[in-house]
Amino acid sequence: MPKHPVIAAVGSTAISSEHRGSNARDLMTEAVLDCLADAGLDDLSAVEHGLASYESDHFNLQMTLGAILQDTIGLTPKPGLRIEGGGATGALALRTAWAHVVSGLCDSILVYGVEKNGRGVSSRTANQLFALSADVDWEMMIGGTYTGFYAAMIRAHMAAFGTTEEQFAHVAVRNRRNAGFNPIAQKPMDISVDDVLASLPIAEPYKLLDCSLLSDGAACILLATEDWASAHCPRFRQRPPVYFSASGCGSDTMRLGDRYPHITNFRAKQAAARQAYQMAGIKEPLAEIDVAELYDSYSGVEIQAVEDLGFAAAGAGGPAVAVGAFDLDGDLPVNTSGGLLGRGAPVGATGILQAIEVAQQLWESVDARRQVEGARRGLTDTHAGIASISVVNIFERRD
Amino acid sequence: MSDKVSSQIDVATIDGDAVTDPWREFRLVERITLELSQSYKYSLGKYSRFFIELENRRFLATRCEACGKVYAPPRPLCPACLQPTAWTELSGEGAVETWSALHFSPASNADARALETPYVLVYVLLDGADTLFPHLLKTPPDQVRRGLRVRVVYSDEPVRHPIHLMYFVPIST
Ligand SMILES: [Zn+2]
Repeated sequence: MPKHPVIAAVGSTAISSEHRGSNARDLMTEAVLDCLADAGLDDLSAVEHGLASYESDHFNLQMTLGAILQDTIGLTPKPGLRIEGGGATGALALRTAWAHVVSGLCDSILVYGVEKNGRGVSSRTANQLFALSADVDWEMMIGGTYTGFYAAMIRAHMAAFGTTEEQFAHVAVRNRRNAGFNPIAQKPMDISVDDVLASLPIAEPYKLLDCSLLSDGAACILLATEDWASAHCPRFRQRPPVYFSASGCGSDTMRLGDRYPHITNFRAKQAAARQAYQMAGIKEPLAEIDVAELYDSYSGVEIQAVEDLGFAAAGAGGPAVAVGAFDLDGDLPVNTSGGLLGRGAPVGATGILQAIEVAQQLWESVDARRQVEGARRGLTDTHAGIASISVVNIFERRD
Repeated sequence: MSDKVSSQIDVATIDGDAVTDPWREFRLVERITLELSQSYKYSLGKYSRFFIELENRRFLATRCEACGKVYAPPRPLCPACLQPTAWTELSGEGAVETWSALHFSPASNADARALETPYVLVYVLLDGADTLFPHLLKTPPDQVRRGLRVRVVYSDEPVRHPIHLMYFVPIST
């Protein structure tokens, strides 16, 4: 039985459309200092390893940012590395850090993620830069965008299962409402299904309010063995230990068309979930998971995700979402943080922010209005592109 | 505005408490415009023959001799068999499997300009192929439906990327 790491401490910045006073290293510094305070540490001298999590060299206009971040917080000359996996970057970074601890390579590792996706470039340029992460010759050069690829997928889902625009509008409404209970959230909104349906078309059937945000922000998690955390983090014992107990990862073809006929759902996510559930001994995910942060890059993506993660049968995600199965008072509250739609999505920090939300839910330390009572086990779901890479991480409270 | 820094956008002081803000020494923020552009000597590699044949108004796919699967867009290596594939010609006709009408164009595509919106991104199951081919369908969005029969049209206009030597139109019935 491998020794799974605990979440020793967490930290983040507020998530914003623009942190105009900060560049990427300033934001990362803020998140790391917040994490240090959470741990009760004065400095990072005891921490053995660093791991930088960010997606884009283009948005930051800086290559080897990982080395710069490691330098900025004085982790030199300790080992460090940078992880990149598109939208899944933060979750893949945590999975990599998890493997470092489970393998015994180190007993403590600081995972720091940051992105400035906000207003440094125009939305059009941002779409162009994100499109560079599609297949350049075949998808990007024709004018394809990720919004378009996701839209084509949800349209296939609608054709196969009768999923409706109203159903995915429910996701857009609920996640933005949940964001209102999260002080770091970028865009809490009190909106109705009709507001979503009436918002500007972006890539049909997706409309403006179905789309997630471009964000600036940073997040940080200190992963360690329980022994290391007990010995070094003065505040660790003030909370019940939360273990990072399982991780799964899957992949799929880059281009949607190469997946034909499997174009309604995310096979990579199904594979990642299978692995993670097996590792965690989960047989009935809906009953055995208490809280989950799902990758709601677009509202309909959450419907596809609840199916792929086994929270609803194939094709049953739309109706389940619409009746509130995943609301704060539902069977399994998801995106209590507000998700990518409401909290925001600074890419390299997104997967880390999801894990922080789950950990804080398990510690029962979030705003009471979004706290899931008695949550013992939580899940994060994060993917790249249209799930060319998918990561499912599972966290458990063990008092 | 600075008369010494031509790229300066603005200088501002970020809000914060004069005593308690740990960053009170660093609240003055200057923003500048940075530009970076580069061109690439970019090889189309083993895809090249597909693009070259578009100039001859021929639509090529690749076929795996081991498993028989036909790839459009072409794949030089069958990922299932790890065998090099062979070129095969298709008629260029097929049916729309899924699509989206885009009302928002990226800053530029290969032609270095935003596309006129709305434009229709389609995934076409070409006759004889086993995968979906993504491209533009030149027709009003309200005319598009799953199963719509379409054909490749070859462009005579000069293009910046050879993928624009083709696009789809509905087959009129
Ligand atoms: Zn084959």
